[in-house]
Amino acid sequence: MKAKPSRSLLAISTTALALPGIAIADAPPVSSSLSYKVSNYQEDDLNRTESPFGDLGRYDIDVHQFQFISPLGRNFSLQVDANYEDLSGASPWFTTIGPNGSPIVNLSGASGIQDRRAELAVGTRYYLENGSIGGNIGYSEENDYRATYGGISAERDFNDDLTTVSIGLSYSSDDIFPTDAEIFNRVISEDKSSTSAVLNISQIINQVSTFQTALSITEQSGFLTDPYKLVDSRPDNKTQIAWSNSYRRYMRAADAAWHVNYRFYHDDFGITSHTADMSWHQNLGNSIQIIPVLRYYTQSAANFFTNVDDFTRPATDFQSSDYRLSAFGAISGGLTLRTTFGNWDATLTGERYLANEKYSAFNVSQPSTALVRYVRVSLGLDYSF
Amino acid sequence: MKIIRIFLFCYLSLSMLAACTQVRPWERGLLAKEEMAWSTDPLESSLNDHIFFSKEASSGGSSAAGGGCGCN
Repeated sequence: MKAKPSRSLLAISTTALALPGIAIADAPPVSSSLSYKVSNYQEDDLNRTESPFGDLGRYDIDVHQFQFISPLGRNFSLQVDANYEDLSGASPWFTTIGPNGSPIVNLSGASGIQDRRAELAVGTRYYLENGSIGGNIGYSEENDYRATYGGISAERDFNDDLTTVSIGLSYSSDDIFPTDAEIFNRVISEDKSSTSAVLNISQIINQVSTFQTALSITEQSGFLTDPYKLVDSRPDNKTQIAWSNSYRRYMRAADAAWHVNYRFYHDDFGITSHTADMSWHQNLGNSIQIIPVLRYYTQSAANFFTNVDDFTRPATDFQSSDYRLSAFGAISGGLTLRTTFGNWDATLTGERYLANEKYSAFNVSQPSTALVRYVRVSLGLDYSF
Repeated sequence: MKIIRIFLFCYLSLSMLAACTQVRPWERGLLAKEEMAWSTDPLESSLNDHIFFSKEASSGGSSAAGGGCGCN
């Protein structure tokens, strides 16, 4: 005969269900939390072989993130996100053939680029017996860019809450108004929009492992060209497909959790990419956690990528020397130290990111001279109440 | 043909889900640990998404996209 679980066991398991690790759609957060994270990341300077003339210094960026999450009554939750970003440095302006016959990049003046971005987003969620529905709206503004966006999503638990299916839809309307447009013959004002849909399935596999797979489709239309490049012309429509997979496994013997993620991406600019990352969340006692992270990324080049700008081609011909459209690979690694004291959590993260055409898993017919390398340091604080 | 492929994909995916072990609610304590969450640090995840979006051509993941930025 099958043993019936006791009432106290059921009470414990119900509490467990309200904890954040389980993919559950029908419970609001049990407490409020206030989080703040400050980060700095600095791109390595180019060298004189890559850029023989002008400034070599690239972006130095500070990011401040705030998040507030709270239950609202018995069935609602509220989430408020605010971000502030301060950016200075130089970015690739145009590419030419250098003195030794190799492509070289010319940066925009380092003293000339100074930008700030402020963003505010508010979301709410309503929890039902076997699911939840939610929505959010947001606004982001920079000196030369404005985005207004919103989204809705719904989740439903099936199969004794072993399976969670969610769908989401989002829309963003963006305005672009480059600085010094008349001096540098840039566009005065343009716009673009993005519509995105995602289907996500989460599954509990056994007592220690879970799996999630998601398919997202994004359609962008409007001005997709980089207005700050001397020569840049891109199609005004782009369809992006991403297929993401995540696996979590708890290792009892080590008191650690292993995270593995993989994403396949393709768009009709001709870019295909693979992203794989894994992290190990090692508990050391009850209050300290160490999290090493490794990530590998590789992409193919866009159909119209060129590593040397052709100034003789008509503007109607698509071309771009943007390094982000070239074929390359990137390896990054980081380490996070997390400690808990009372209602407080503190995290300290260091990360190194290296992009190089030699790391590419795709054929590189035209290597870019402007691939980035950066160092990031972040400090985060969370308070629950 | 495309519809048949999508149907087959969904059917096979659901068949795989049915093959998973039955885990009772009171057996899910380890899955409820914070370190087993899909995102253990939402601010870290959103920061990474934002940085990679500005350095690489790919975007999109397990949730619908937010607003764009002048960084890409």
